[in-house]
Amino acid sequence: MSNNILTQNDIQYIDYKDTDLLKQFISPHGGLVSRKRSGLTAKQQRAVEAAVKVARFMGLLPYVQK
Amino acid sequence: MVTEETTLLDADLAATLPIEEVPAEPRIYEIGYHIIPTVKEEDIEKTVGEVRKVIESSTGKAAFIAEGAPSLLKLAYPMSVRVGEKYTEYDRGYFGWIKFEAPASIVAILNDSLKANPSILRFVIWRTVREDTRAKIKAPTLREVKRVDTIKSTPRRAATEESAVPVSEEDLEKALKDITSE
Repeated sequence: MSNNILTQNDIQYIDYKDTDLLKQFISPHGGLVSRKRSGLTAKQQRAVEAAVKVARFMGLLPYVQK
Repeated sequence: MVTEETTLLDADLAATLPIEEVPAEPRIYEIGYHIIPTVKEEDIEKTVGEVRKVIESSTGKAAFIAEGAPSLLKLAYPMSVRVGEKYTEYDRGYFGWIKFEAPASIVAILNDSLKANPSILRFVIWRTVREDTRAKIKAPTLREVKRVDTIKSTPRRAATEESAVPVSEEDLEKALKDITSE
């Protein structure tokens, strides 16, 4: 069974404001998790990456977590 | 030099229609912004009103789809803003967002006006879809671990005591006398 959270919960769109959801795709240090670990499709992974980067810019997620 | 090929090519080029101007179809945009925390609570609505006015002025009619009211938020990292020659660092801001429909030309106008606004700490203009993009699920919590090291002896002992045959008071007194007489 895949660990694709987005497909399992039928999520179509990724919103940069959904920090709780995006936190599923970042490592404890704040870096993006690879596709191997996130289990997302390439399209979903691109959407998540874009959303995380906007969320970081807006100060909703950290760039680096100490 | 005019060859057969060139005449054919010219004919082809003449036949093709000129590139039509793409009509300015309205697009769905969303802006997210941070208002600096030093702005008073009652003036926040005024700042948001300024932003809304810019959007309204270019779209002609109100085409707002959704809006999130600004609320004070702790930033994930401190942001510094240069005002004149001084840098000010903020660790919180009033974060709000507006989703609206407008032609693409609004982006440049909005970008300039938000940049010029001194009470906007930071903003983002993001192309999105009309549907609600917020995920409906809650973040999955850590799965519960079955504990195997808990002590189960206490409830078991209580159960055995309950199942014991009730002792009458006379028997108890007899037994006590026996002990005390010894």
